[in-house]
Amino acid sequence: MRNSPAFGRTTRREDIIADLDPLQGAADAVLAARAVDGDVHAFEVLARRHGPLMRVYSAKLLGSDIESDDVVQEAFLTGWRRLDDLESPALIRNWLMRIVTRKAIDRIRARRDVDSLDDRDPPAPATTSPERIVEARLQLDAVWQALDKLPAEQRQCWLLRETAGYSYHEIGEALGIPTSTVRGLLARARRFLLHELEAWR
Amino acid sequence: MTLDDTALPEDDLDGHTMTELGDYLDRGRLPVDPSIENSAACRLALAGMTRIRELSWTALTRQSALDPQRDDTWITGLLDTIKGEIKSGRDVPISHSDPSLRLSLTEAAVRGIIRRAGDTTGGIVMGRSALEGDVTTRGAVIRIEVTASVEYGRSLAATADRLRDRIRAALDDHTELVVGEIDVTIDDVYFSEEPRS
Repeated sequence: MRNSPAFGRTTRREDIIADLDPLQGAADAVLAARAVDGDVHAFEVLARRHGPLMRVYSAKLLGSDIESDDVVQEAFLTGWRRLDDLESPALIRNWLMRIVTRKAIDRIRARRDVDSLDDRDPPAPATTSPERIVEARLQLDAVWQALDKLPAEQRQCWLLRETAGYSYHEIGEALGIPTSTVRGLLARARRFLLHELEAWR
Repeated sequence: MTLDDTALPEDDLDGHTMTELGDYLDRGRLPVDPSIENSAACRLALAGMTRIRELSWTALTRQSALDPQRDDTWITGLLDTIKGEIKSGRDVPISHSDPSLRLSLTEAAVRGIIRRAGDTTGGIVMGRSALEGDVTTRGAVIRIEVTASVEYGRSLAATADRLRDRIRAALDDHTELVVGEIDVTIDDVYFSEEPRS
């Protein structure tokens, strides 16, 4: 059955308001609460608002652009099914980010089991031709590419810390490495990224 | 490409290591450590780290906007799946002229009617809605509880009254529920001009 039955007597004014879609500007907390109530459209607005960034994040985490669509789709599906577990609707972005992170790490683990020799550092992506890079974007591109140059574990630690907001302890648990190792990997990642940034100053 | 640690010396941080500085930054630079804050090298490194954090976030955001069609594909697939997973809730009976036919509306559909009635009021974005009472028995008086956010500048009391009227009218039109009280909780105020995220 459809979520909202067709209305026989809607006024034009109602149609206009519905077309403007009041949910587009609604706060995450409102959308999350409605999604808990079974409102698919509210969840769709959340997916469109946060999904694209999470897809790019998971691609960086995995070092694979191809798998990221599957990861983020699986993650949102899991999120939808577990909405009852969501304690704070306002924090749904963080909550989904963590599900995305777990899904991506599961894949990294599965991969590691299959071929432990391969660290799978992604090939540096095709660089935008220098002519096309405008001045204001130089640093952004530099950071973006510098992330790809990091060894996989350093990059994962850094993304979990800086993008998903994990604590050192949480990173260690997620990646299955000691907290002290996390600290060291993060420091190295930061040192390298700083070094790269210097080159672009 | 592998990174050789020795190629990146970290000696010039006035006795501090990058690890310490990272920890310090992650603590929100609190409690204030004068030996770090008074060191030009440390402050430069901290500023750089903060800058990288901002740049990477901006880069991520920019990258994520580059391929809307790609996102459309996985989101459409996602929606197709979850539409089939809506918890329909209780069955709300509807009478039919042929007594041998059983007709009912799902609780989820009734909530959809309530949301739609609220969302199209103008100046209201609906939150949660609940049907309290025995909706499965025809004629039983039920209570409706809803939450809503109201556009900044509107009278809360008048808006809540209008919302109540609209919900009651919509349920009268589309269901046979006997609606008693409608509890409206305004739990947020929003500003109409700027979309929030």
